[in-house]
Formats: sequence, structure tokens, C-alpha cells
Amino acid sequence: MTFRDLINKALFIEILKGLALTLKVFLTKPVTIKYPHEKRPVSSGFRGRHAMVRDPQTGKELCVACMKCAMVCPSQCIYIKYTGAEGEPRELTKYEIEAYRCIYCGYCVEVCPMNAIVLTEHYEYASYKRQDNYFDKERLLKNWDEHIKSLKATSYSNKFWKPLGIDIGRLPANKRQAEVELKGLSKDDLSQNIKEA
Amino acid sequence: MEQVEITKGSDIGLHTQELTLNMGPQHPATHGVLRLFLELDGEVVKRCTPHVGYLHRGIEKLSESRAYPSVMPLTDRLDYISSMINNIGYCIAVERLMGIEPPPRAKYIRTLLAELTRISSHLLWLATHALDIGAMTVFLYCFREREQILGMFEDVIGARLTVSYPRIGGVRCDITDGFLEGVGRFIDEFPSRIVEYETLIDKNRIWLQRTKGIGVISGEEAVRWGLTGATLRGSGINYDVRKKMPYDAYDEIEFDVPLGQNGDVYDRYRCRMEEMRQSVRIIQQCIEKMPKGEVLSKDAPDLDMNPKGHKRLEPEMSLWSANVSFSNEYTTTPKGELYSAVEAPKGELGFYIVSDGTGRPYRMRVRSPSFVHAAAIPRLCQGHMIADVIAVIGTIDIVMGECDR
Repeated sequence: MTFRDLINKALFIEILKGLALTLKVFLTKPVTIKYPHEKRPVSSGFRGRHAMVRDPQTGKELCVACMKCAMVCPSQCIYIKYTGAEGEPRELTKYEIEAYRCIYCGYCVEVCPMNAIVLTEHYEYASYKRQDNYFDKERLLKNWDEHIKSLKATSYSNKFWKPLGIDIGRLPANKRQAEVELKGLSKDDLSQNIKEA
Repeated sequence: MEQVEITKGSDIGLHTQELTLNMGPQHPATHGVLRLFLELDGEVVKRCTPHVGYLHRGIEKLSESRAYPSVMPLTDRLDYISSMINNIGYCIAVERLMGIEPPPRAKYIRTLLAELTRISSHLLWLATHALDIGAMTVFLYCFREREQILGMFEDVIGARLTVSYPRIGGVRCDITDGFLEGVGRFIDEFPSRIVEYETLIDKNRIWLQRTKGIGVISGEEAVRWGLTGATLRGSGINYDVRKKMPYDAYDEIEFDVPLGQNGDVYDRYRCRMEEMRQSVRIIQQCIEKMPKGEVLSKDAPDLDMNPKGHKRLEPEMSLWSANVSFSNEYTTTPKGELYSAVEAPKGELGFYIVSDGTGRPYRMRVRSPSFVHAAAIPRLCQGHMIADVIAVIGTIDIVMGECDR
């Protein structure tokens, strides 16, 4: 042990250096957020609560019951039933998502050829009742209405509808123009939303 | 370090007996649900038996009933602290099986994000390891930086922890220039943060006493136990999958492999700290060399790949010509077996896939570093006190999600 080490050890130099650092950080602005009162902004494309897009023209869902989402789902939490004979358009009778089983990979959004389903940026949907997070078709459409109400834009697009950098030739026709016009919203609603926000 | 003399009750004529103690599975310092069955003589560990399996979810079995692309989100849940590298490891294994080469941009993006993940994983390791040993301040500082990395992941793919970002044959979506700038800013600032952590604990006398000479294992023995990653390199063995079996863009990038000498907890700590600096170097080179172009190979299977195999279509053709006939033949995955490994933050993460020619793995086995390292805990704890068991668990950076799968 050299003389220098001995001095360092006797004078607690390394501990004083550490304390000086903590004092410096103590005087800086805190990085924490007081969560329920303050919320950090969520990036666009955050994989949150599920919703089914409501077609602005018909007011119904866009789903054509192709079953792709149910097939690709790694946790197999999408349940679909439909009627319609072979060769005819299918009619959706049941579309349910069990949000507790969902692992939020976003595969269903990415494979959907109609851009009918979306994982919205809404992330606060904990509930006292278990039933609230078994989403059926009506509930999913309601989720969409709630989501677009909180938006401040006239159109909505999701990152997984038309993934950035993926060759357009790989995408089905409906996914090449991945934007939903929010026509259901009148201008007064919109300005009110902005005011509230 | 000089060994502390321990006066035993039996030496001074008192009646003593061995105590058996269950440490875990609900112990905050065992990093999850690891249960250690300890047989103690006073405070000294006589025997230690790890019991694993409390977090078993059957991921290997589940993957047998899912098509190759749908298995990928399950691999997020192996080592949930570095999910990106798990995804990349799985995707590389399947790419090698199917003979797909991802485009250069995808390779660089993967390398960049893998190193960001390595930093975030090492930050969490340092935070919890230091907290277990008693240095609480480092814990809070590490989480401050880790939060920034998680925020970047959120920008890219919309999830912070279980990212599911790569895809067989490339990545799921491209990154923006704004993202690269953000990473650049973080990387410029980060080395000064590493210095901060080191100021706090590197020479701290409590830290030195708790880590030096604890859990010593020689290089030769470490190889025989099958240790990999920084746990092995702390003993001075130069083995890094990124150097020995390069994948993605690692063969085009310069970096060093930090090595320890004594093979104790302190040397492994130094190794990981240096690894973070090397990761910064790799990321800087990735940003500089980032090529332009596609991010998904043309041969890549679709996400909704049929369990029978995947179809290769020419989509532009089929849209415009009315009499195009869709072939019902599937391009099948080659039959055979394959082992492919990547360097995860914890060690060598390998995927062993047996293919029977369909679109699903016939069998998938994950060679997870934490499982192998868990077996070495009794060896590393030999003759140490019960408080050092905590240091040993911290130093091998065990994650039970990966260990039990």
C-alpha cells in the first residue's frame, strides 16, 4: 500500500467523492413524474387497449371475418364467429378479445387486411370488474369512439397498419392507404376537444 | 483479500447443529422466484441447492403449436429484461434454418438495438446488484438512464419491455432519422453516467469488501461448468459469441472484449462496466455506418404464415392480371436440426430447432445462460457466508423467466 492509498483511506476520499456526487444530483431537477397527476406523453403507435375501427360511412365495423388475426395471435385470445355460405361475404356474429390473455405484440393489427382492428394509445383501463376487460364487438367499437374523442386531429393512422419501410408490394390493397378520416367528428366537437385538452 | 476469522460455536465447546434455510422463492434479492435450499453452519454455507421451475410457462412446448412468426413474441418472455436480443436470437435461428438473408439495413438496426438492450440490461443488473449489496443510490441513477432507453424502444415499436421488434428476415418497421439522432444524443452523454456509477462504488471500501475474493472460479473450471458471457470473461477466458460466431453486423464493427483476471464478483462487475463502454462504441459505429435501403428481405415469410409452410407470391402481379393462378404449394422449411447462438447480456443464448418441414418447429429448445449459471451457484457459494450468496446471485445476473422458460 502506497502512502497515497493510505492517505485516501484515512481521509475517506472515495466516500467523500461519492457524497459530493449525490449532493450535486440532489440539487438538480427531479426526473420522476407524479404519475396520477402528471402523465408522460405516449409515443404514437404505443400498443395499448384494443379497439375496432368504426367505418365513418356505415357506422359499423370494418371486419370481414377473414380470421387472420385469430390465426396469427400468439396467445390465441381472439374469438371470431361468422355466418355466410362459401363464396359469399361473411357476416361477423361474434368478435371477442380477452385482454387479460393478450400479450400486445400487435400482430393482429399488422396482418389485418382491412385495418379493422387497432391497438390504441390508451393505456389506463384497469378495472374493478373482470368482465370489463373481456372486449366484445360493441365494447371494441366503443373503445374506438372513446379513443378518437381524445384525439386532436381529423384523421388517425396507426404505425402497424402500414409499417414504415416495408415494401408496399407486400401489403394488401387496403393497407396501402392507412389512414382513417374521422368524419364522425364535427368541427365543434373537435374544437371542444382541443379546448378540454 | 484477507479472510475473516469466524469463531464457531463448536470451537468453544457449545452445542451446535446445522440449520437448513429456504432462501426464496419470495425473496427480494433472489431476482425472481429462485429458491435456494441452504444448509448452514452458523453463518457459513455448507451446502446450497438451487430449486428452479417456479416460473415455468412451457414456452418451448407452446412454440410447437405455433407457426414460426407467432413464436417470436413468446421469446420476449424468456429474458424479459433484454427482450430484443431474445427476439433477434430466435429470428436468426429461423433465418438460418430457412436460408434467408436479412438486408444490410435490418442487420445494422438489429445490432444497434441489441446493444441498447445490452446497456439497459446491464444497467438493471448494476442497479439490483448494488442494491442487494447495499448501495442504494446507484439503483436510482441506473433507472434514470434505463428509462431513456425504454422510451426509445417505445418510439420505435410501441412497447417498452416486450418489444417483439425483429421479424424473420428483417425487422417489423424502419427507424427514423430522428430516432438515430436521439440515440446519438444519449450515447454522447452516457459515458459520463458510467463514470458517475463508478465514482459511487468502484473504490468504495464496503463495495470492495463485499465483492473482492467472493465467488472465485478459475477460468478452466468456469468452462467446465458451462458458464458464458461476462460470468466467464471475468475469469479471463476470451469467449464472446459476437466475435467467435459473428451474426448481424458484428463482423463489420470494431469492439473489444473486456476480460477479468481473478474471476471474483468484483472482476465480473468490472467486465460488465467495460462492456457498457464497448456497447457505446458499437452503437456509434452503427449510427455512422447505417446503410440505406430495405428492412425486410423479399424471401421473408409473412406474419400470417400457414402452419403448412409459407407461400411466396408476387403480390404486384396478382393485383393487375386477372387470370393469375394462385399456387397452392407452400415453400416448406427445410427438414433438419439447427443450433444458433447469440450473445445475450447474460451469456450465450442458443436456440436449437428441429424442423420436420412444416411451418411450425417440431421441437424448440432454448439454451438459456441463466439456467446453466443457476447450476453453478452452489460452486460459487462454497464456504462463503450467507450474505455473500446474495452477491453471487447478483453477479451471475440470473433472470428466472429465462431459467425456467
